[in-house]
Amino acid sequence: MPDWKALALARGLKLSGKELDALVQPLEALDAVFRPLLEELPPELDPAPVFSPGEQPE
Amino acid sequence: MTIQEAGEALRSRSVSAVELARAALSRVARLDSSLRAFITVTGDYALERARLADRELAAGRNRGPLHGIPAALKDLFAMRGVRTTAGSPVFDKFVPESDSAVTEKLEAAGAVILGKLNLHELAYGITSANPHFGAVRNPWNLERSPGGSSGGSGAAVAAGIVYAAMGSDTGGSIRIPAAFCGVVGLKPTYGRVSRFGVLPLGFSLDHMGPLARSVRDAATVLNAIAGRDARDDSSARHPVVDFVPEEGCSIRGVRIGFPANFFFERIDPDVESSVRGAVARSQSLGAVVKPVRVPDIAALNAIGQVILLSEAAAVHAGHMENRALFGEDVLRLLDQGRLVAAADYVNAQRVRRRMAREFDALWREVDCLVSPTTPLVAPRTGDLTVRLGGSDEGVRMAATRLVRGINVLGLPALSMPCGLSAEGLPIGLQIIGPAFAEAAILRVGAALEDGGVGIPPCPLV
Repeated sequence: MPDWKALALARGLKLSGKELDALVQPLEALDAVFRPLLEELPPELDPAPVFSPGEQPE
Repeated sequence: MTIQEAGEALRSRSVSAVELARAALSRVARLDSSLRAFITVTGDYALERARLADRELAAGRNRGPLHGIPAALKDLFAMRGVRTTAGSPVFDKFVPESDSAVTEKLEAAGAVILGKLNLHELAYGITSANPHFGAVRNPWNLERSPGGSSGGSGAAVAAGIVYAAMGSDTGGSIRIPAAFCGVVGLKPTYGRVSRFGVLPLGFSLDHMGPLARSVRDAATVLNAIAGRDARDDSSARHPVVDFVPEEGCSIRGVRIGFPANFFFERIDPDVESSVRGAVARSQSLGAVVKPVRVPDIAALNAIGQVILLSEAAAVHAGHMENRALFGEDVLRLLDQGRLVAAADYVNAQRVRRRMAREFDALWREVDCLVSPTTPLVAPRTGDLTVRLGGSDEGVRMAATRLVRGINVLGLPALSMPCGLSAEGLPIGLQIIGPAFAEAAILRVGAALEDGGVGIPPCPLV
């Protein structure tokens, strides 16, 4: 899991301890669900950079 | 009165467009100091357009079902010469020189635009407690949130001010206020309605759609705004059909998927009971209700959050120097987005593609899927948590839990009222369909509405 607090400080965000906690806690919760989804991604799976639900746009 | 009924009255000359516009403006004057649904009221312009609509009808020119109908736009849609704020001081002096595609199409269809509607700041949140333009209030109970981000749109329709209002939906922002305010909200398929001229929040998640008083009214607006627009790179070439279900339409034999997992976990018992009641009604109308297991919606929600955090941070990267311009919750989300790694954004888009394929398989089994729109009814304004299923959950996460994943898939979804809670607050039923199957889900919604699924008018009306 990324060290969100370190990332925030490296980004130059000037936040109090309380603000930093409020920033980081939702990211930790999100990461706990998101990170495992990446474990078995096949290398050949492309991203959907221009998303299309059923057809390719022009 | 619905759009159809008002249209008939207009065409039979029993009412004029000017009278409809004046009635709507008079409701704004009477109610909006309480509701705070509008940021800008374009009264003089609306009356001018209404006079034109009357002159045209008198001359035998009928632009269609929206001719002379009062409507309004979420203040995210550009309207030429009218300040368009996105609910933020960042844009409080922004006066567009051209219309959004939706504004153009609504006006070409004869709609009379009454003004620009309040919203959650930058459309980035679900309460519409806007710190800069005032907290929008729910017409069913002024102490309650109207939902968001299209909260002004939901409130203006529920309060009977306009017949339809435009909203945008990036993670539930049309369907949540529709559910909380007891109106119909339609998020069309991604690409069905042009995003041109609408301030983006999440490029690949933003959908434009109507909030209205009935399912057929929402379909009527979709008829006017759908279609290919070369100015929007994601605009689809899919054929546009007549989306308005015929009177007395049947859903006999329609396969309605009833989720056996996720959608009925940790929900308000009143919500569950009303939604199950609507499903039972669909069965009595001849639909075939099939229990189905849906792919991992929690995973969809997570990748939706990663994508939105990243895309919104990209959209607003240029405005972050002046942090005082943002409300606390929006600033926090934008800061969070700046911390998400590029690789995580790309991988979220890869998981998205895989999950869209998984979801495609569902449409071989059923024609649509039904669920609650939200697991809760409108919370009190200012409440940050809600107790559901014996545990506390953040209001924002709870309100988006059943809707956000559908944005990730880009699928069409309708929210329609299906009951009232014990406290007298509206409950929303969500009907989700395959890509570009708006006509099918609107048909199910209209048949249910015809079959008695719905709620009484808001007491404020």
